[in-house]
Amino acid sequence: MNDTERSAARMRSPEGIRGSLHDFLKIAVDKGAVDSVLAPVKVPAENSYAWILMNDPAVIESASPVAPVMPVQGAKALKSLTRKGKGESRILAVMRPCEIRAGIELMKLNQVHFDNIVLVSYDCPGAVPFQDYVKDPGFSEESFGKMIASGRPGEENIKPACGICTEFSIVDSDIHFGYFGVDEGSAFVIPVSEQGAELLDAIGLDRDAKIADWESEISSIRDKRTKKRTETLSAAGERIKGLDGLINAFRKCIGCHNCMSVCPICYCRQCYFDSEVSKKDPDFIFEIAEKRGAMAFPRDKVMFHAGRMTHMSLSCVSCGFCTDACPTGIPVAEIFSYMADITQPTFEYIAGKNNGEPLPLRKFEKKELPLVHEIVKSAEGEEGSDE
Amino acid sequence: MGSKRNSVLIVGAGIAGIQAALDLAEMGVEVHLVEDTPTIGGRMPQLDKTFPTNDCSMCILSPKMSECARHPGIQIHILSNLKNVSGKPGRFKCTILERAKYVDPVKCVACGLCEDKCPVKIEDTFDVGLRTRKAISRYFLQSIPAEYTIDKDKCLYLTKGVCRICEKTCEAGAINYEDKDREVELEVGAIILAAGIDPFDPIGFGHFGYHRYPDVVTSLEFERMLSASGPMGGHVVRASNGKEPKKLAFIQCVGSRDEGIDRNYCSSACCMFAIKQSIIAKEHIKDLDSSIFYMDIRAFGKDFDKYYEKAEKQYGVKFKRSKVADIIETPEGKLRLRYTLEKGTTQYEEFDMVVLSIGLQAREANQRLSEDLDIRLNEFGFCRSERFSPLMTSREGVFVCGAMNGPKDIPESVVSASGAVANAVRFLDLERQGLPTADESIPEKNVIGQRPRIGVFVCHCGINIAGVVDVKDVAEYAGTLENVEHTEDVMYACSTDCLDTIKKRIEEHDLNRVVVAACTPRTHEPLFRETINEAGLNPYLFEMANIRDQCSWAHMDQPELATIKSKDLVEMGVAKSRGLQPLERLPIEIDPKALVIGGGLSGMTSALSLADAGHQVYLIEKEDELGGNLRNIFFNFDDKDPQVFLGDLIKKVSRHKMIEVLKGAEIEDISGYIGNYKTSLKAGSGKEGRLLDHGVVIVATGGEEHKTEEYLLGKSSRIVTQVEFERMLHEKDFPAGKLKNVVMIQCVGSREEGRMYCSRICCSKAVKNALELKKVKSKTNVYFAYRDIRTYGFSEKYYTELRDEGTVFLRYTPDSKPVVELIDEDVTDSRARVTVFDPIMDRDVVIDADLVVLATAIDAPEKNEELAKKLKVPLNADGMFLEAHVKLRPVDFATEGVFLCGLAHSPKDMDESQAQAKAAASRALTFLNRKAVLAEGTICQVMTDRCSGCSYCESICAYSAIEVDPEKLVAVVNEALCKGCGACVASCRCGALDLRGFTNQQMYSVFDSLDLVITEKVGD
Repeated sequence: MNDTERSAARMRSPEGIRGSLHDFLKIAVDKGAVDSVLAPVKVPAENSYAWILMNDPAVIESASPVAPVMPVQGAKALKSLTRKGKGESRILAVMRPCEIRAGIELMKLNQVHFDNIVLVSYDCPGAVPFQDYVKDPGFSEESFGKMIASGRPGEENIKPACGICTEFSIVDSDIHFGYFGVDEGSAFVIPVSEQGAELLDAIGLDRDAKIADWESEISSIRDKRTKKRTETLSAAGERIKGLDGLINAFRKCIGCHNCMSVCPICYCRQCYFDSEVSKKDPDFIFEIAEKRGAMAFPRDKVMFHAGRMTHMSLSCVSCGFCTDACPTGIPVAEIFSYMADITQPTFEYIAGKNNGEPLPLRKFEKKELPLVHEIVKSAEGEEGSDE
Repeated sequence: MGSKRNSVLIVGAGIAGIQAALDLAEMGVEVHLVEDTPTIGGRMPQLDKTFPTNDCSMCILSPKMSECARHPGIQIHILSNLKNVSGKPGRFKCTILERAKYVDPVKCVACGLCEDKCPVKIEDTFDVGLRTRKAISRYFLQSIPAEYTIDKDKCLYLTKGVCRICEKTCEAGAINYEDKDREVELEVGAIILAAGIDPFDPIGFGHFGYHRYPDVVTSLEFERMLSASGPMGGHVVRASNGKEPKKLAFIQCVGSRDEGIDRNYCSSACCMFAIKQSIIAKEHIKDLDSSIFYMDIRAFGKDFDKYYEKAEKQYGVKFKRSKVADIIETPEGKLRLRYTLEKGTTQYEEFDMVVLSIGLQAREANQRLSEDLDIRLNEFGFCRSERFSPLMTSREGVFVCGAMNGPKDIPESVVSASGAVANAVRFLDLERQGLPTADESIPEKNVIGQRPRIGVFVCHCGINIAGVVDVKDVAEYAGTLENVEHTEDVMYACSTDCLDTIKKRIEEHDLNRVVVAACTPRTHEPLFRETINEAGLNPYLFEMANIRDQCSWAHMDQPELATIKSKDLVEMGVAKSRGLQPLERLPIEIDPKALVIGGGLSGMTSALSLADAGHQVYLIEKEDELGGNLRNIFFNFDDKDPQVFLGDLIKKVSRHKMIEVLKGAEIEDISGYIGNYKTSLKAGSGKEGRLLDHGVVIVATGGEEHKTEEYLLGKSSRIVTQVEFERMLHEKDFPAGKLKNVVMIQCVGSREEGRMYCSRICCSKAVKNALELKKVKSKTNVYFAYRDIRTYGFSEKYYTELRDEGTVFLRYTPDSKPVVELIDEDVTDSRARVTVFDPIMDRDVVIDADLVVLATAIDAPEKNEELAKKLKVPLNADGMFLEAHVKLRPVDFATEGVFLCGLAHSPKDMDESQAQAKAAASRALTFLNRKAVLAEGTICQVMTDRCSGCSYCESICAYSAIEVDPEKLVAVVNEALCKGCGACVASCRCGALDLRGFTNQQMYSVFDSLDLVITEKVGD
């Protein structure tokens, strides 16, 4: 679709974007455009949210499409529903941009199938760190509510990954709700894919709104974010430089592998590092310990993170779940995003884009070889005579 | 027919001879490979890199050489010549003369001590005189057989009766001064000549200063300079001052396309050879300025034009269309070239070094061979063969391949070799072979569950290893490692007595794993595996540590470090061997039937070859008629009528009882794998669907004429394609009125964006049709608008003929293409005004043409894509089928059991299509002629409970041997196709894949056996 001619519908609600999205879900199910809805719903204990697949209007009524926290990456929910292929029922899923992008990566890895899914994204203000929310749900709800009402991305009380997110708005979903910088209570409903446009037609939303102002607002926010991201990540890069830097960064790791469990991209059935093959004989460990003079446990901290990095940095969408889930406060997402911002451009690849482009390692391009050579050479140059 | 012999004699062991020998031996034929020099390999070992992939020539050749040496069906006769042939095809009596070697090949272990000590230095012919060798020597480092021979004309003892130093030095006692020439009588069913070609010797070309100026070298000499293993170690320097050249010139067609010296033919390979050398030279020398002086760049092969383009655009090689008059050396030691540009202006330019791109010429020995064997040569001294029987000589049962019957590059030589084999098998008594029967007398010991008992043997290899590495120390160290029950150092691990020692030790110490620390597994692993098998161990319980290449050679000047590294490599080998398990090679049965897709010239030729060899063939053709593109060809350079030939061919195919022709057929689906394919044909339009079982597939789907509206094609009946013009000539149905001017426009659609390849046959076709036109309308003026005239090989003389007829050749460039306008827009048969910019006159030439003939490109059919998917084989960027290896496996796909030929591969002429079709048949026969083949033992296995079904492995496997099961959503390995390369294992992040005999667990043990740097860090 030609960006310059992008047209949109407009929805209004006294409850702002949340209200508009909620109305949209109801209309879509009502008019039979979709069979069911996948969206966050507040858990009865009132201190978290969960992904619920629903088609009962009463349950949909209780949905909170724009939740303040992200307890489970939406792509993982999508994977549970579609990992064996196209399902029978047509589902409308409301997700944050990073969740949709992770879903797209999983699709390329055969773990998610989009055939019967309509993806709805929205301008994401960021999410509240999960531990903060659990400590004080009331305060978090209130601050998040203000954030949305402001029609601008959040600055405070959001996850660090959200603060440096540049893909907070329109992504390769089917329909996008844009409201940053738009008059209060109003949101643009933008068809992104053909499927999205058809759905808007089916439920009778006229597309007559001009969104040029919104687009320029988004791009100016993105520029600021990009600057901030570069600064933050290059500082992170400095901290993890060399083997010592890496060891230091993960010194606090307790080996719980929470980061891996919550990561949408880590799709292995069982992680190698959780498997029996990865465990060494005590004899061998004693031998190493003797050679080194001392030994830290649990073992394989850097190996675990470096291994994970090798496997998923090309698909990392910087959703920040790993940091959120780390009980010892290691800025995992920052480190992984730093790597992703190096590996992805190396292959001229952008994770989370659905443009028919296969994952870079699936196809070999000759030009990549000298490039890798250059990178290795420059890395060696930087390291100097480290060894 | 029992009277036929099941053996073939091959003259010449270059790449063509080797390929023919391997194909035949795989079919179970006994092969005698007769070679004049002391080694097999021919010209390829002299080459550094090969175009257009820049593969190392020796690296791709040496596995084939080793295979040849190892194959029990191939007997190599080095230093031998075929002297006489009598008898009839099917049962020839041959006499070969084997010259004395003076070294006993059984005893010689190629340690090289003799050569070190021999006092006589002689010119090294392998390095074209750029370095010396000794009177006793090995022809080159990797020569096969790996033996030393004595040059009897240079040896001091054999000439003067003094010296005998080599005899004293040889610890193996292999020297035998009493060795005599001997005659050997052989009975064979057929003979294949692959005696090769010689480079043109430019010494007679005084004006290029070769031999007078040290910096004027031939392309072959330059190739040796570029070679990393060559006399200069890949460091190109000027002979005059020992400095790197900064400016390099290549002069093309030295000894080619030259009527004056009886070489009115094109050597076909030199343009690409020079382009390759200019690219490689630029990679060797920073900021090298390199120019190629040429008449036409003939980059006509598959993907050659892209390579040409790359040389010009990416590497900045300068291409100068000109004629070099002479070279003189300036007082400053530079070489000044005087050359004439197209416009006729003379220019001068100075260079540091000049490479003469010497042509290829028939070998002098051909003359003698032709007399001895009673075969005919052509006017240039090449073996004579006809266009419709490109691999036959004038004597029945004697075939020719390689460059012996005309200049060829490597893939074409390989193609012709396999093709000649398909011809030869008709005179043999072929029998389908069963699997080699295991030796029942040595039952295999069951070692499962046993604690590893490892034997380590460390090889001295004479001084090859022991000269640097402290072999005894390494062996002793091995003894300290866990599970090592026995260790010893041996002089030559591969010698017969040492192999016996290994077997004895297995017995004595009840060993169940063997590690040999010696040279490379590439050449020696099969031998050791066989040895332990003879001692009752499964062959996969063997591991090798390469302490020669990786220690004694790589660290020649650091013996202590080399010894430490050897210990590490042995320790790693031992660690890996602990995890070795016995593996089995599963038999895969081969259905003897074949499917040939495409009923054109190639498909029919393939089908006929297979059927003649006794195999049932399904020949499927999408149209309702056989013949393909050949139906549109009416003329040939020689007088034979292609339509008569086609008629005969169709008759033979249709009447053959082993061929079932299925016309109007469309493939629904193809499933299965080597030996076990199932193809279903669509039902429809009165046809029933069919399900065909077959063992192999040959893809011969052909090509299509490029459809275009360029140059107003279709706007007037006077603007036609070459195909239409040929029909016009045939039917004598010319446009009304006088035919005063005919303009032929070349490269219509070819060699430009979207079709960056040469369609190869259009130049010859246009020349052929122009000559035909001249026959019937001698007064017609013919104009050629062309970019390069690519009448390669023997077609060159027809181009010369056409020029002599007064045809006007106007060269155009892609930026100034000819312009065609209709003279009268209102009629359907308007004459056309053609404007061509002529660089010679430097102005536009305007021709009012009565007929414009367009040489439209050859396109890959769009349907290729669908078929490629069904067969799981790749296409290249142009949509043509992509072979397993562009040089050495030109008719195979990486997927076993699928072959290709004809235009499906790339544009080519009729004789080339036929040769390739026969080659595909021959390659197919290597499988069809066996009842079963063995799958690899080291193959990938899937741990399904770990597999997430992401299909990374599927996109990476080159052999289509692994895919995700659509139902179970986990990867499944086709054990018949898996080659055990391990690429999928590396790609699997879930750790769900593992390679038998090379497991992840084994690899971890190998790493753990080393003190890696990371283990020094306390933090992790």
